[in-house]
Amino acid sequence: MDDFERELKVGFLEEASQLLSDAEQCFLVLESSPGDASTLDRIFRIAHNLKGSSKAVGFDDIGVFTHLWESFLLKLKNGETSVNSEVINLLLLCNDHVRVMVEALKQDLEARVDSTELLSRLNAMISGESIAMSFSPGPVSEATSASAFEEEVHGVFEGEPPPSKEELELLKLVNDSLDDLPNPALEVTKEEENLVIPDPGPIDAEVRSLPAPVFELKRAESPKASGSASTQDESIRVSLSRLEKLINSVGELVILQTVLREQSMSGGSHLLRKTIHQMGKVTKEVQDISMSLRMVPLRQTFQKMQRIVRDTSNMLDKRVSLSTQGDDTELDKTVLENISDPLVHLIRNACDHGIERPEDRIRAGKSETGNVMLNAYHQSGKLVIEVKDDGGGIDGDRLIKKAIEKGILKPDSKLSPQEAIHLIFHPGFSTKAQVTEVSGRGVGMDVVKTNIEALQGEVLVETELGKGTTFKVILPLTLAIIDGMVVKNGKFRFVVPLSHVHETLRPTGSDIQSSTGMGEMLLLRGENLPLFRLSRLLGQKRSEEQTKEQIAMVIRYSSQPFAVMVDDILGQQQVVIKEVGPEIRALRWMSGSAILGDGKPAIILEMNELVKPEGRGVA
Amino acid sequence: MGANMTTMNARERFLSFSLGAEEYAVPLLAVREVIAMPEYTPVPYTPPYFLGIMNLRGQVISVMDMRQKLGVKADKNAETTVIICDLGGVSIGVVVDSVNTVLSPGPDEIAPKPEIQSSKATDFITGVYRKEKKLILFLDIAKSLNLEDQNAIKRNQQTGNKSAA
Repeated sequence: MDDFERELKVGFLEEASQLLSDAEQCFLVLESSPGDASTLDRIFRIAHNLKGSSKAVGFDDIGVFTHLWESFLLKLKNGETSVNSEVINLLLLCNDHVRVMVEALKQDLEARVDSTELLSRLNAMISGESIAMSFSPGPVSEATSASAFEEEVHGVFEGEPPPSKEELELLKLVNDSLDDLPNPALEVTKEEENLVIPDPGPIDAEVRSLPAPVFELKRAESPKASGSASTQDESIRVSLSRLEKLINSVGELVILQTVLREQSMSGGSHLLRKTIHQMGKVTKEVQDISMSLRMVPLRQTFQKMQRIVRDTSNMLDKRVSLSTQGDDTELDKTVLENISDPLVHLIRNACDHGIERPEDRIRAGKSETGNVMLNAYHQSGKLVIEVKDDGGGIDGDRLIKKAIEKGILKPDSKLSPQEAIHLIFHPGFSTKAQVTEVSGRGVGMDVVKTNIEALQGEVLVETELGKGTTFKVILPLTLAIIDGMVVKNGKFRFVVPLSHVHETLRPTGSDIQSSTGMGEMLLLRGENLPLFRLSRLLGQKRSEEQTKEQIAMVIRYSSQPFAVMVDDILGQQQVVIKEVGPEIRALRWMSGSAILGDGKPAIILEMNELVKPEGRGVA
Repeated sequence: MGANMTTMNARERFLSFSLGAEEYAVPLLAVREVIAMPEYTPVPYTPPYFLGIMNLRGQVISVMDMRQKLGVKADKNAETTVIICDLGGVSIGVVVDSVNTVLSPGPDEIAPKPEIQSSKATDFITGVYRKEKKLILFLDIAKSLNLEDQNAIKRNQQTGNKSAA
């Protein structure tokens, strides 16, 4: 087994532990409210996920087991089997069993656990027999999280030659950071929140074999200290919550610095201004450094995809090669964590639905081997991840037909090609006639979309029949700071995320046409965009709005572009997003607030929600 | 904050404040600080007493006008003060006319609120206290603002939408 493979496997085991504890929670919720469809959905997704990832990294035992488990869950989801305590017990038993498998694999990557008994039980349940089960919690339930974690920490070091000095130090740091945590029950999850920045040094392998991810604060160009052993970067573990505190405080510092600078401009000595100017530089640097602490490269996530493509295509009897680009691109740790699952879905879909069978490809005059491109790059302050295949493309008409069959669409619906393609994001939609092991159960695209939107990102689909499909995942680099456009409306200022604004213009008389039925429209280079006025959207009464609102912002963030008229644009600046109190968090058109240069708060507008009549309402 | 103040043993302290000509008090433990009226940014689609959001040393918190909330006529000459309350980890600024004093009434000095047939909800009043000749109402801040507000915002939302659409 090479290092790359080992890395993947260890990564999966970490992920699996988390998923299993999530699943366990869900089962318990399910027990108290058996009919809860959303919980069932969640469990189903977790099982689906486990199945996919385990196969991808080559843990076939888990894969086989979870496949059966998933099939059973599907029966529950479809209501073919009712949820009772017997079922819950079996589900929990399965959960424990997978956990045992995972724990065993953590100790030894070749470990195998016998699961014939549970497999036959699952099979029996799936085929509809209810067997009287005698449950002995026995040894399986012993592997519960908190104590297991401690055992692992020790376990890893027991089986190894006496630890070197560095290792001991690292272990000590691990322990210290554990001691810092206020609640011992939270240890495991807290640990998993730590950042992982891979360190190329020789200590790497040891670090990776630790059960919990290790965050390494790289000391930039650490001086070559005494002794030959300490040539690599030293690193310490820092909990994510501490890091966030730091980042918040730095954000404050930046704001105060701006206030100070504005003050000094209107008076104050030369020396004062000079000092403030220098302080500004240092503050900016501190801000950049603190923000970069949360950034991790995409490399590991991309590497995982290689394996997924290989195994998926093997299973499907297709020939697919994956090429990646831009795996050095860095991304906020939280964003990265949440993007991994959607990416797996997209890649597997590309292999399964996108790339055609070899014989079809040859018939279409393409090379036998399909190509999936994974490309990451920065574009105007956003991170774009492209999943591009040179397969058959998406057939909009077939989607419509399928949607009508499934009852998602009314038979006489008329959809534009773009709208038809968006059907793939509909929950429970899958065009594959056959349920394969890879995909086709209709889990996936809707989850992909929801997950990405939860990160304030978006998914775009470009497809050409016969040529291929490109999914573009556009993500913010970080969730804490955004580039904002500060606009003025009446006396007040609002922040609009710059990424939502496609362009701004000053329309002249005939550019705006109004009609009784459709309201106002902006005629822009042959396009007719619905035009809204910010003051009206915000429910303010304005007598002479025609004269005041002069600038139109074109918003193309959603699939339906529109324009919003504002009084004035005051400028662009980076703002730190501040959460508002729970009493107004329900206002969906307000994605947060930001403190502007003069120390006053401004509302960050979510235009997409604001233009929907129901968007102003409460979720 | 215990709702039933009359049975309290230790002397709990209260911060009393004026709303117009009336006097109210809230438990001192729920008060984080008292500040002068700050600049605030209004938030559309919220009830009139929801004044907006303010910057409290880097934290953005909501400011609500207790006078409008309780329908008390504001005293034009009053200094206008904001009491920053801590309600289970959430800070809220409550605008009052002026802050008066800290009270520590004996347990037997607080009377339960008299049962009055009224269309207005009075469950946020936890007790009444007579200080010399003046009557002071004790408030449960969370009840008088928090729960009520969320409903109010929702209601306002619906009507607001109709008028905006």
